[in-house]
Amino acid sequence: MMMMMRMRTARVEVAVALASAVALALQVALVRVLTIAQWHHFAYLVISVAMLGFGVSGTALALLRRRLAGRERAWAFASAWGLTLSSPLCYGLSQQVPFETYQLTTQPVQLAWLLLLFVILSIPFFCASNVIALAFLAHPARIGRLYGVNMAGSGAGAVAAVLMMEAFPAHWLPYLLGAPACAAALLLAPRRLDRPLVVAAVVLALGPVLWPGITPPRMSEYKDLAYALQAPDAEVVAERHGPLAKLTAVDSEQIRLTPGQIVGYPWEELGPIPRQIGLYFDGGGASPIGRFDGDLSAYRYLDYTTGALAYRLTDARRTLIIGAGGGVDVLGALAQGAEAVTAVDVNGDVFDLVRTDPTLRAHSGGVFDLPGVRTETADGRAYLRSTRERYDLIQVSLLDSFAASAAGVYALNESYLYTVEAIREMLDRLEPGGAIAFTRWLKTPPRDMLKLFATLVAACEQEGIADPGRRLAFIRSWNTGTLVLTESPLNEEQVDAARAFCEARGLDLCYLPGLDRDEANRYTLLDSPVYFDFAGEILSGDREAAYADALFALRPATDDRPYFFNFVKWRALPELTRMLGGDLLSFVEWGFVTLLATLAVSVVAGVVCILLPMATLARRPRARRAKIPVVIYFTALGLGFLFFEVAYIQRLLLFLGHPIYAISVVLAGMLLFAGVGAWQSSRLLGRPTRALLAIAVGLTVIAAGYEALPWLFRTGAGWPGPVRVGLSLAALAPPAFLLGMPFPIGLSVTARRDPALLPWAWGINGCASVAAAPAATVLAMGAGFRGLMIAALACYFAAVYVLTFVNRR
Amino acid sequence: MDRARIGRAALPLCLVGLAGLLALAGLLAGDVVAAASRAEASARDEADDPYAARRAAMVEKQIARGGGLFGRTAVRDAAVLDAMRRVPRHRFVSERQAGAAYDDRPLPIGYGQTISQPYIVAIMTELLQAGPEDRVLEIGTGSGYQAAVLAEIVDAVYTIEIVPELAEQARRRLAELGYDNVAVKEGDGYYGWKEQGPFDAIIVTAAASHIPPPLLEQLKPGGRMVIPVGPPFQVQRLMVVAKDEEGKVTQRSVMSVRFVPFTRAGEARSPADD
Repeated sequence: MMMMMRMRTARVEVAVALASAVALALQVALVRVLTIAQWHHFAYLVISVAMLGFGVSGTALALLRRRLAGRERAWAFASAWGLTLSSPLCYGLSQQVPFETYQLTTQPVQLAWLLLLFVILSIPFFCASNVIALAFLAHPARIGRLYGVNMAGSGAGAVAAVLMMEAFPAHWLPYLLGAPACAAALLLAPRRLDRPLVVAAVVLALGPVLWPGITPPRMSEYKDLAYALQAPDAEVVAERHGPLAKLTAVDSEQIRLTPGQIVGYPWEELGPIPRQIGLYFDGGGASPIGRFDGDLSAYRYLDYTTGALAYRLTDARRTLIIGAGGGVDVLGALAQGAEAVTAVDVNGDVFDLVRTDPTLRAHSGGVFDLPGVRTETADGRAYLRSTRERYDLIQVSLLDSFAASAAGVYALNESYLYTVEAIREMLDRLEPGGAIAFTRWLKTPPRDMLKLFATLVAACEQEGIADPGRRLAFIRSWNTGTLVLTESPLNEEQVDAARAFCEARGLDLCYLPGLDRDEANRYTLLDSPVYFDFAGEILSGDREAAYADALFALRPATDDRPYFFNFVKWRALPELTRMLGGDLLSFVEWGFVTLLATLAVSVVAGVVCILLPMATLARRPRARRAKIPVVIYFTALGLGFLFFEVAYIQRLLLFLGHPIYAISVVLAGMLLFAGVGAWQSSRLLGRPTRALLAIAVGLTVIAAGYEALPWLFRTGAGWPGPVRVGLSLAALAPPAFLLGMPFPIGLSVTARRDPALLPWAWGINGCASVAAAPAATVLAMGAGFRGLMIAALACYFAAVYVLTFVNRR
Repeated sequence: MDRARIGRAALPLCLVGLAGLLALAGLLAGDVVAAASRAEASARDEADDPYAARRAAMVEKQIARGGGLFGRTAVRDAAVLDAMRRVPRHRFVSERQAGAAYDDRPLPIGYGQTISQPYIVAIMTELLQAGPEDRVLEIGTGSGYQAAVLAEIVDAVYTIEIVPELAEQARRRLAELGYDNVAVKEGDGYYGWKEQGPFDAIIVTAAASHIPPPLLEQLKPGGRMVIPVGPPFQVQRLMVVAKDEEGKVTQRSVMSVRFVPFTRAGEARSPADD
């Protein structure tokens, strides 16, 4: 009998774990699918807002609590069913909504479609949240355990999503996830199951697959891939789904991607550029795969792009290419006489596809298996840290597509490749006489290359290099710029070679030792030689004034604030608007706009969710007094948990290298340890305030230790992958364990005060968690990860303080 | 107590929102009134061509006047404005779309291609600075509208289109309208039209990552090329490429043009009027 009881009660925990796992895996999958269909920043916005389903669920349960009383289990069962069906159906329905990001500024109706998408996609999250919150309501004594399995389940979902996307296209996941959701429903079924019910359940779960069938993502007609496919001869020759991107290889004579202009290219003499197959990432920016038949002379055309400047300044026998893509730069390096080329790319699927797909292998002449060529699947920065090799040339290619770069969609992404510390590590990996070369798309008004120049100079100064101005060369074409930093000062010969290189190709000099101002603006004419002027300010002028006067944020990025791509400067916005007039819309950094929109929508929705049940709670004497402390407590936890997690995991990103797998394992580990903490938290309920204070102090101690992490990770950068993952998990375990406790402690205390507050608290926490992600990015941009960590601790101490008010009897 | 506090906060917020909406409505109303008065002025042309008034309004409102929400530079070249007033744009789209031909936006013409927004055609033509004696090469014929506008101004237009059906359609259309100084070729514009070159001016209608070297070669010393650079569906920079008498090539980014999204569904849309 006792045994039976345990079995039955454990069912709820398993169901909660399953529902949590489904919600997280679905979230990951939907971001992927929406990125393929539209753009990453759009996916980020939509899914963040859809996650507000968690907050709405808390509010709904708070409002309907009295009607649900005593029937929580049945409603949890219904919600799990809702999750089973809504996961595939809401995804399918979302692909019928004719939303188009590009028309948002021209068609008001698009706002309605966007709103509809928010609503449709929040339904599965609403259902999943109901399952969890109803379990809390039904078993208030087991809140710690239930929250523990909620966390652990989410962790498992993160890993499962990545593994599933390795095996299936991302848009299958909403259908596949119907199975675990169905299992959760069966576990919550109110009475003993008979066979027909199980059969009916499984058939229903399969329903959306059988009818209307698996819906592929509806790709925007404005994506680069859609554009490329309009050419009469365009043909998709290979495709690959993966957790990082969907790769599509398109063969068409119209694909002619060069890293910039080739004005001086004597094409009649050297022949047309070799035919290309375009490799599209999520239907966006393409990387070319050049045809190669063993004759490297066909790749001389690359010697007419800005990037080839590097070969005039160093004898590049050993070359490292960061962001190898389809491999054209590898051929370019070989054509320049490189003996050894290391091609690094974060997406290993690229190497694998070009190697194994028969068409691509034949077309590319097995570029990645040519003698002397080696591939490494890693984040560029992590590779630099882990390798002991030295190079004559470290080349950072045009990693992002022109489109993404122009629209500023990376503004909210951290990048550890363009920080002062990254440049210092690159310098450390150079052979004597070696060089680092960056090529990027130019933007109007100028910003990227200016910031990069300042970053290189700052790195030199930190390395104790007294004369950075003697080691830099900077040129531009009509759409690209190349910056070269050399290990030793440039001699007269090299400076002359750089001049001759530009002269012959119609490229403009922006900076070179001893360059005259009137040499700096000859071919692609700017109103004034802004690049030359800025370089002068940085090297020998009033640097602080140059930063202060700039219309954009041009101060170098650092590992603590790795937002190279964020150029928004609040104070300069009015002036920028005045200068550009109505053209401003063209220069909007969309990533940043998305971030603010997400923050605004989640704050507004959060306020509504918090206010709605106020009236019903006001009638309950025990709840009334606790309202404000409960709001503060659960908002603080929602923010604090995520701030701490983000700040901590950011440190680990650099260390882990192979992002997607390592990160999902670490994220899962974090959630799992938090789950263990939550499970154990019920022991502390005797003196909750004191326990919470101890937790906050513990976190502070850990945060102080956090400063030591970069040192530890630099030491261990070369260690094998599994060791690094293990070490990361070990570093995560203590803070995660502590982070898992405050929520269930608070929830139990709240339930003791008045159970009516419980779903409300859950909803508040849900909304705060959604707002926390963009808030963390905004904070980190302004105050760095150190500042974010301090904000996280402040949240926890605030929580300790208000808990005393909730805990009053 | 709580509700009162919320009420107090909500009022100023609502007022700000309302003020914003009113301002927007004011802007729109201004545009509408101005358009109406101009339409009236050119109503007398209506007799011989049912679209004449709209065409005149298009030139006045969209092209000859600068400013507006996206900070347009006005087109001032009289020859260009005249050409834009003469070429019957509605004949370059399907009959179903004729009603929208003079709207301030691109329209789909099938095969994934579009007829550019009137303003873009006008500004690119102006930037080309081509004269009555000039031979002009166009890459990307599309509907043939840009070629017709050029044909009104220059001596001869050579235009290349990669989609065979579009090339054929444009050829027929231009012949029907009597543009006998336009030659249409089907093919890959990247390599230009060597047999007819060199050209005084070259206009490229699709953005490119680089200037096709063959085109640069077919440009006469002293000639000009207009070419957009940038991602296909976003803000593009219009570049004017000039080749001086010694053959030195310089380029200048003249302005940014914002891509205006079009609806491909429009291809199947019912006629707006007529």
